[in-house]
Amino acid sequence: MTSEDIKNLILEIIKDIDDEADFASLDPDKPLRDQLELDSMDFLDIVMELRKRHKLQIPEEDYPHLATLNSCASYLQPLLKDV
Amino acid sequence: MRTPLLVIGGGLSGLAAAIRAARFIPDVLLVEKHSRLGGLNSYFYRNNTLYETGLHAITNYAEAGDKQAPLNRLLRQLKLRRKDFSFCQQMKSEVIFHHFESLTFSNDVDVLNSEVRKKFPRAAVRFQKMLHIIKHFNPFLPSPFRSARNFLAETLQAPLLAEMMLCPLMFYGSSRENDMDLSQFVIMFRAIFLEGMFRPQGTIKDLLDLLAAHYLELGGSLRKSCAVKRILVRQNNVIGVELDDGEIVECDYILSTVGHEETLKLISSTRVSPSTNLARLGFVETMYQLRQSSPNLPEDKTIIFFNDGEMFSYKNPADFADFKSGVFCFPANFQDLPRKNITEVRSTHLANYEKWKYLSATPDLYSRQKLDTSLRSAQMLENLVGSFATNIVYENTFTPVTIERYTAKINGAIYGSPEKVKDGNIGYPNLFLAGTDQGFLGIIGSMLSGVSIVNQHILPKL
Repeated sequence: MTSEDIKNLILEIIKDIDDEADFASLDPDKPLRDQLELDSMDFLDIVMELRKRHKLQIPEEDYPHLATLNSCASYLQPLLKDV
Repeated sequence: MRTPLLVIGGGLSGLAAAIRAARFIPDVLLVEKHSRLGGLNSYFYRNNTLYETGLHAITNYAEAGDKQAPLNRLLRQLKLRRKDFSFCQQMKSEVIFHHFESLTFSNDVDVLNSEVRKKFPRAAVRFQKMLHIIKHFNPFLPSPFRSARNFLAETLQAPLLAEMMLCPLMFYGSSRENDMDLSQFVIMFRAIFLEGMFRPQGTIKDLLDLLAAHYLELGGSLRKSCAVKRILVRQNNVIGVELDDGEIVECDYILSTVGHEETLKLISSTRVSPSTNLARLGFVETMYQLRQSSPNLPEDKTIIFFNDGEMFSYKNPADFADFKSGVFCFPANFQDLPRKNITEVRSTHLANYEKWKYLSATPDLYSRQKLDTSLRSAQMLENLVGSFATNIVYENTFTPVTIERYTAKINGAIYGSPEKVKDGNIGYPNLFLAGTDQGFLGIIGSMLSGVSIVNQHILPKL
């Protein structure tokens, strides 16, 4: 997956969590949670969906790497490079 | 058989936990010992009519757009769509301290604000200050017991107003006599006074059916009339359960919603010493069906929280029930509910489990006492609104013994142990507690309890 694919995957997962999520003014370097009014419970859904869809086991200590759209892409790219 | 996660108890916390887990884990198993789901919020049939148990009103109302509200967070976590539900908001409710004062409130907090300004003008500014504290308080941080009574006394400096605030909050969610933990108080205050009350347009059965269907669709398994005889433990790890019929179910994790002490009893057949000496609180509830609505019964009030006197006493009564205070619910009085011919009224009072338990050995006396309770309770309501009891065509009274029989609750105490286990950890690495004894109460609260314990302890590890 390219960095762009991964960002789209994350947005698709978020859309699935909250179908009213608005990505129009999303800053890829700012925390997703603040911008999309997600809480820690919603955030866990992203982790769980990545596991369900791509068999990715993300350890709890790595959750901070998923804070922004860009940090998601750089953290996940090595893990999803063969997908 | 084997399951990664066994959920014990098909009440609302167990159902929510099972749905949450089944979204991400295959082969979750939910077991319920009763033949129906719902636990405290269930139903039964009499005279071809469905009667709801438990549910008066659901607290934590929120509009669809409010993403951070507990109700909407819960729906997202369970992947339920808000538009699949029709929620009917309360009309208005009232706290009545007979011969002293009354306060009307609704899902619009300004109604309560203006009542306080009008009736407690000298406390109005301090009341606003209290609202500010409550809005900014984090009730989920672990902390030792702090007295809500002391907080109210200091913040409001208006004893009667403080008692009137406590009365509904205690009746709708305090497992502890006389006082509440400040965190619990804040959670309940927001749930009732700031968010408000509602109910689904359909019956509790419709809601339970919807949740069960959703769970099965996600691939979960459900067994009703299926009681756990004991939980099997090896070297402090849970390895499975033995069911009443002798079948062994192996599992990696157990989430129990049947209470703290109740769960420990399933682990050890020897006597479990109670985790606290504080009393558990029992309730009696009567539902009255009326031939027709009496002109005296309010058509615009959903709930009346009532107290006879200036001081509100919330404790295990010396007699069968304490008629000096109580809750009256008018289930027809929600906005946008279709009108029904038969009108229902429900009343709830604190009750003494030991007295009911002792009497239940003599069925005649037990029945007579239930009837007496129903009459006296109706009389309390008549004192407030005027006569209506001549229109009663059917009535049914639950006692703590009834609750004990149909749920797992020790002493039939609907709010469970006075001591809560907020992190759900009761000393085993793969067995956790959710529901009543974890400490989030009410329908939305208990469902969020199931969800958050699954999120916290199970999903990250499986």
